[in-house]
Amino acid sequence: MVKRGEAAKHVLKAVILPGFHVNSDKPRDEFLIPLKLTWDTGPLEAKSISYPKPEEMELNGQKMVVYTGTVPLETEFLVGKDAPKGTATVTGKLKYQACNSQMCFRPSTLDVHFAVVVE
Amino acid sequence: MRKSLILAFLAIFCLLSCSRKQSVTASASSVKRSANRTPAAEFTLNDENGAAVKLSDYRGKVVLLNFWATWCGPCGVEIPWFVDFEQKYKSQGFAVLGVSMDEEGWPAVKPFVAERKINYRILLGNDSMAQLYGGLDSLPTSYIIDRDGKVAFPPHIGLISKNEYINEIQCLLGDRPVDSLPVESASTSAAAACPAK
Repeated sequence: MVKRGEAAKHVLKAVILPGFHVNSDKPRDEFLIPLKLTWDTGPLEAKSISYPKPEEMELNGQKMVVYTGTVPLETEFLVGKDAPKGTATVTGKLKYQACNSQMCFRPSTLDVHFAVVVE
Repeated sequence: MRKSLILAFLAIFCLLSCSRKQSVTASASSVKRSANRTPAAEFTLNDENGAAVKLSDYRGKVVLLNFWATWCGPCGVEIPWFVDFEQKYKSQGFAVLGVSMDEEGWPAVKPFVAERKINYRILLGNDSMAQLYGGLDSLPTSYIIDRDGKVAFPPHIGLISKNEYINEIQCLLGDRPVDSLPVESASTSAAAACPAK
């Protein structure tokens, strides 16, 4: 439950299967595709998104900064002063590109959402 | 004063479904008997100069057809090998054909090609072509194609060793004893499976 005009925080936990990794939000190699969470415009406005500290990994001689396991992505929202009261759904997208030590998968985008009650 | 509320949502998303988990091809090459080889699917794609290139343009050559992308780390490991192969075996009727699966197209691919000094032909792939090769969900994926345009070895999905590529290329070029490679059936001679130069 959130109140109009106030800040609210949301944590999205992305779980990466064992043996795989995704690039961090700021990969070292300019050609790698970063993890990126975006939220659509709605009753809650995303003010900032915090990505956790990535792991250092060396794969096939290349030093990389990646995420493995559970990755908490924290978003700070501002609830609009004129946001309609009641239940709302906040929607967004999580773009990622995953690999293991021997292969990579095509970049993919997940639709993400959560429900919130505005007071 | 700004008040933060912690929303009790801990949405959990699994970034990779189990169906996408693929095993890596076996490390040992297994050459296909000539009669069992199937033609590599034909395609026409553009190179960076806009020229239309058909796979069948390479008939008569041994081709290493490599599907890759700029964002693929293991692909980047193989690329210097392929540069070597192109240089070393080109005069024997060999060519590497790199098909980039970058959705951003040439603006993403051209700088990479220049930076890595890629000396072989690069084409830009697309989804309809990918379907001809099993969807290409994971990269790198490579096929070794014989002079008749047929796939001579099982596809390599994922990073394999440089030596495995060398063995297969030399086998098809007739540069190395063909009995050093296992064939898919013991009853068939390797010489029949691996054409002489």
